[in-house]
Amino acid sequence: MVYRGRARFPIYLTMLPGVLVYLVFGIVPSLATALISLTDYSGIPGLPVHFVGIDNYAKVFNVDSTGLYGSIVDTVIFATSVTIIQNILGLLMAVLLDKKIPGRAFFRSLVFLPAVLGVTVIGLMWALIFDPSGGPAANFLHLFGVNSAFFGSDSWALPLVIFVQIWASLGFTTIVYLAGINAISPDLYEAGILDGASGWKKFRFITFPLIAPSTTVNVMLAVVGSLNTYDFIYVLTNGLYNTNTLGMYMFNTAFQGSSDLGLASTISMVQFAITLIFVLVLQPLLRRREAAL
Amino acid sequence: MKKLLAISVATSSLVAICVPALQAQAAAKETLNIITWVNPPAVSIIKKINQEFEAQYPNITINFQTAASTNYNTLMQTSVQGQTADIMSIHPFEPMPYHMTSSNLSPVQNWAVHGVFMNLNNQPWVKNFSKDDLGAATYNGNIYGLVTGVYQDGVFYNKDIFKKYHLSVPTTYNQLLQVCKVLQSHHVAPFFDGLQNVGPSYLMFLNSPLVTELWASKFKGADLNSALWNNQTKWTDPGFVQALTEEKQLMQYLEPNFTGVSWQDMPGGLANGKAAMLLDGSWDLSAVYTANPHINVGYFPLPGSNNPKVNTSDLFPDLTFTVLNNSPHKDAALKWLNFFASPKIYSQYVEATGISPSFIGGHYTSIASKVMGSWFGKGMPGSVDSPSLPATGPYWLQSNNWWNMQLEIYQGKYTPQQAATMFQQGWPQVTK
Repeated sequence: MVYRGRARFPIYLTMLPGVLVYLVFGIVPSLATALISLTDYSGIPGLPVHFVGIDNYAKVFNVDSTGLYGSIVDTVIFATSVTIIQNILGLLMAVLLDKKIPGRAFFRSLVFLPAVLGVTVIGLMWALIFDPSGGPAANFLHLFGVNSAFFGSDSWALPLVIFVQIWASLGFTTIVYLAGINAISPDLYEAGILDGASGWKKFRFITFPLIAPSTTVNVMLAVVGSLNTYDFIYVLTNGLYNTNTLGMYMFNTAFQGSSDLGLASTISMVQFAITLIFVLVLQPLLRRREAAL
Repeated sequence: MKKLLAISVATSSLVAICVPALQAQAAAKETLNIITWVNPPAVSIIKKINQEFEAQYPNITINFQTAASTNYNTLMQTSVQGQTADIMSIHPFEPMPYHMTSSNLSPVQNWAVHGVFMNLNNQPWVKNFSKDDLGAATYNGNIYGLVTGVYQDGVFYNKDIFKKYHLSVPTTYNQLLQVCKVLQSHHVAPFFDGLQNVGPSYLMFLNSPLVTELWASKFKGADLNSALWNNQTKWTDPGFVQALTEEKQLMQYLEPNFTGVSWQDMPGGLANGKAAMLLDGSWDLSAVYTANPHINVGYFPLPGSNNPKVNTSDLFPDLTFTVLNNSPHKDAALKWLNFFASPKIYSQYVEATGISPSFIGGHYTSIASKVMGSWFGKGMPGSVDSPSLPATGPYWLQSNNWWNMQLEIYQGKYTPQQAATMFQQGWPQVTK
C-alpha cells in the first residue's frame, strides 16, 4: 500500500518521538563534540570559551606530548582480538547449544548470564580472581611455578582485559548466532544429508553461509563496541599497563588529568574517525559476502 | 449571624497569621549538599558530625554523597558543571605551575584560579588553623578551603617482625638497605605497596621522601618547586638522579607482583604479615588496626640520605572542604564549616581519622598519634617539596606519565640518568 498526501501524516507523527530522541541524544551531542574539539572549553562555569581552530588536533597528533599512537595500537589490538575471538567462540557456543543436549536451556541461560551482570561487578570479580597476592588464579599458577602481576603486568593486562570483555559479551553474540541457526530450515539439512554431507560439511556449506546476516550483525557490533570500550578497562586497569585504549585515553583526559574538555573531544573525534574507517571497510565486505552466499 | 461573622473573622485571622509563618518555615528548610571521596573513617565521622549539625540546625538537612577515590574526579567535575554540590571536598591544589595555562592546570587548580570556590578569608575559624596548612588551599591570598589536616607518608612497620629478627629502626639509607636484606634472607617481603588501578602514582611513598631528602633539602629557604620553575635547579641534578636510583633499588624489596596488587589490599598486607613494612600514608592506619587489632605497628620516615638530619616525614594536606561560589546555600555551608571547625567537633574528626591536625593547639590520643609518636604532625610540607607537573605538555612531564617513567626505570627501559635527561629536555616547553 502506498500512502500519499495527508495519509502520510500519522506515519510521520509516530516517527517523531523516535526521531526527536535520536536528534537530542545522538546527533546534537555528536555535533557538539565536533564543535567543542575546536575550542578550549574546560567546563568551568562562567569561563569564556575560545575558538582555537585546529590547535587541539595539532596537540593530539604531536608525538612529543601525547600517547595517541600508543593508544591507537592498544585500541586496534583490543578491537581486533575481541571481534575475532568473540565471534569464533560465540559461533562455537551457538552450534553446541543448538544440539539436543541434556540441560540445554540451563546452558543457554548460563552463557547469557554475564550479559546481565554490571560492569563493576564483573570487574571486581575478575580483579579478585586475578589478585596476585593470594587470588585463585595466582594460587593455581603457582602450582606450575608461574607468577604474574596480572592486571598490573605490561604483558598480561591487555590479554586479560580482552578476555574479560569477551567473557562478558559472549552471551549476546551466542544468542544472535543461535537465532540465525534456528532460522535455517531443517529441510536444507535433510537435503544435505541425502547428498552425503557429514557434520563438518553441514556446518561449512549450510549453517555458516546461511547465518551470514547474524555474522554481519555480530561483527559490526563487536567492532564498534570494542573500539569505543572504556568501562571494563577503567574498572580493571584504569588504562595502565598497555591498556590505554582511545576510549580510556579520552576519559582520562576529560576527567582525570586536566579539565581540557576541548582536547578530550578531539580524541573523541579521532576515535570516531577510526570507527568510521573500520565500519566503511567492513560493512560493504560483509554485505557483499551476504549477497554472494 | 454576628457569631458566624466573628468565627469567620477569627478563622481568617488565624489563617492569615499561621500560613505565612508556616510558609516561611517551609521556605527556611534547606538541603545542604556535601560531597567527598571514600576514606572509611573520615566518611563515618562526617556522617556523625552531620547528624549533630542537623540536631543543632533543624532547618538544614544534609545530603551527603561519596564516591570511591578513583572515581571522585568525575563526581567533582559533574558537581561543578551541574552545580549540584554546596560543599565539595578537594585535595589541596598547591603547588601550582608558575606559568599557568588552562591546559596545564588540574581541574581543581583551574577551579581555584577561575573563582569556582568561595573566598573564606573572613571566616571565624581561619585564625585557629595552621597558616602553612591553609596555604595549600590558598591562591592569590584567598583561602579557598578548610584544610582538615595533614597525612604523613612513611614506613609503617610490624614491631614484632623487627623484634624477631633483631632489627632496629633505620635512620639512614644504608641502614634501611641492611634491614631489607636481613628480612629478605628470612624470606619475609620487606615492603608492601599496591599499584593495581591507581598505577605507579603509589610509588610516591618511595619517590616523595627520596626527592625531599636528596634533592629538595638543598634549597633551604626556597622550595624545590620554585627552584625548578626559576631554573635554579635542573632535573639532571645529582640529588634527583640519586633519588631515582634509590627508588629503583628499594622497589626490588617490594612484595612480588606489586603492580598487580590492589591499593585497597595495602593495610591488609601489613596487618596479615605479608610484609614487614608498609609504604603508605597515615590515613590507612585505622584500616591496619581494623584488619588486625593485635598488631604492634611503629613508624619511621623513609630514610633516603645517609645523613639522618635530612631524613624527615612528608606532610600532605588532605581532605579540604570548599564552598562552591554558585551554591544557593552558602550561608548554610558556612555554618557547617564553622560547626566542623569548632574544637569539640574537630577533635572527633582527628581522633577518628588519625589525621595530623591543622587546628592549632589541642591534645589528641588517636592511634596515629600513638604510632607516629614524636613524628606526629612533624615534617616537611609536601606541597613545597613536590615539583608541580603539568597535566598536558611534554609526554614524560605530564603528571600521570611522570610516575609511569619510574616504573619504566624499574623495568630497565631507562636508566635514572636517561630519565632525568628526558625530563630536563622537556622542561623548557613547560616553563616557557
